[in-house]
Amino acid sequence: MSFWSYLGNRHQQLLTDAFQHASAVFQCMVLATVIGVVLGVLTYRSEWAGNLAVTATSTILTIPSLALIGLLIPVLGLGVPPTVTALTLYGLLPIVRNAIVGLRGVDPTLVDAAKGIGMSRFARLAKVELPLAWPPILTGIRVSTQMLMGIAAIAAYASGPGLGNEIFRGIASLGSANALNQVLAGTLGIVVLALLFDAAYIVVGRMTIPRGIRV
Amino acid sequence: MSARRPERPPGEHEVRGRAFRDDPEAAEDDGVAGAVGTGTGPLPHEAPERRLRWPKLVITPLVLGAALGATYLWISNADLDSIAHNALAGDTVQLRFWQSVKLTAYSTFWVLIIAIPVGIALTRRQLRKATPFVTALANIGQATPAIGLLALLVIWLGIGPRTAIIGMVAYAVLPVLSNTMAGLRSIDPTLVESARGIGMSAVGVLSKVELPLAVPLILAGVRTALVLNVGTSTLATFGGGGGLGDLITTGIQTQRMPVLVLGSILTVLLALAVDWIASVAEQLMRPRGLEVGS
Repeated sequence: MSFWSYLGNRHQQLLTDAFQHASAVFQCMVLATVIGVVLGVLTYRSEWAGNLAVTATSTILTIPSLALIGLLIPVLGLGVPPTVTALTLYGLLPIVRNAIVGLRGVDPTLVDAAKGIGMSRFARLAKVELPLAWPPILTGIRVSTQMLMGIAAIAAYASGPGLGNEIFRGIASLGSANALNQVLAGTLGIVVLALLFDAAYIVVGRMTIPRGIRV
Repeated sequence: MSARRPERPPGEHEVRGRAFRDDPEAAEDDGVAGAVGTGTGPLPHEAPERRLRWPKLVITPLVLGAALGATYLWISNADLDSIAHNALAGDTVQLRFWQSVKLTAYSTFWVLIIAIPVGIALTRRQLRKATPFVTALANIGQATPAIGLLALLVIWLGIGPRTAIIGMVAYAVLPVLSNTMAGLRSIDPTLVESARGIGMSAVGVLSKVELPLAVPLILAGVRTALVLNVGTSTLATFGGGGGLGDLITTGIQTQRMPVLVLGSILTVLLALAVDWIASVAEQLMRPRGLEVGS
């Protein structure tokens, strides 16, 4: 069976897998962004806590994803829970790091000026600091998403959802006529999804980065 | 960054100004573990970090050693049924561990042998036109899942350690390549020009000015390669390459949690140890002249 007719025959299954892949990554990214930015906001003012957060996140980042998933399985079982936990955890790291770097990079005189016109601590954060720190945070989100695309594929081995199942089905049936088609469909599907997400982030960046700091 | 727009040295009319421009996008986009956020601002760990301080040298190995000891105590006292026992029988665990180490070492060796010379070549004047092409390729490579790449190679080349190593090299070569290129491009062009101005040859400029200045970023690339390769070496099991991933997959397939947890813990410890060794090497090998305000 040629690749195209394979795609034609299995488009239902493939679309379901692709949708589940994208939705798992997307939901975990939303979760990771919220947690990551909150962690960044909580820790960036203290030298000690901020450095601890950065060190902790980069340590977790060096852990191979299959091993982390392997450690989560005895606690959470197979399927969606370890996948979501692992994806969110890995997704956090670049975001926390870039949030701290971004928030620390905000010109203190601007924050002072905001204080001077009577803005509250929360208003300063929401209207001055976070908008100025948004470009690096968005970069972190992009980096995270690309990474999660690949990790989600591996999570399929622990019965997670998504296109990784297609790849593992191909590996399991090595030598059969469809092995190549399955692996190719899964891999290319993930590449396409990753590029689509990346394009979407560029659009999001255009819409959300304040005009004054756009390069 | 935008201020870095050097005057062209004489005899370079064919170079459009573009080739000289530092491309902040490219540096920002290599979303590899070690380089998250490059170009978005000062990285905390690049801030004034001096020579090795003793806590860093001692604490990590102590913690890793203690964890290894605790794991050993736990697994030798754990209640294993026959399937789990068989999966760990003899020196299976040591064998898998050394397979992982070897896979990581070989693939890192090949990544460096390929990526650094190619990176140097691509930043030479004659080949700079290929840079956007390589950057685009690196971006697509970043989006390719490691497991998919490995599976495709297995179908193409058959199962075995060789395939696993080729897959690992293919996966890690692009991030290291873009690191090397970013390192060479971020060198202040006035330094290169003054070196040329005092009559150094192209080879002299490369070996005495550019490479020493790019050492920190190249070393960061080495570290990235090591960490990436430790990660993908767990996937080598799907290509018949063995390694600690074997223990993890056996644990999942047979639903024997001790096997799974042992494989995972050893993988984590190996990854952290490799990262620690690489970070120590990175700091030891950094040229002294670059330590302050690099």
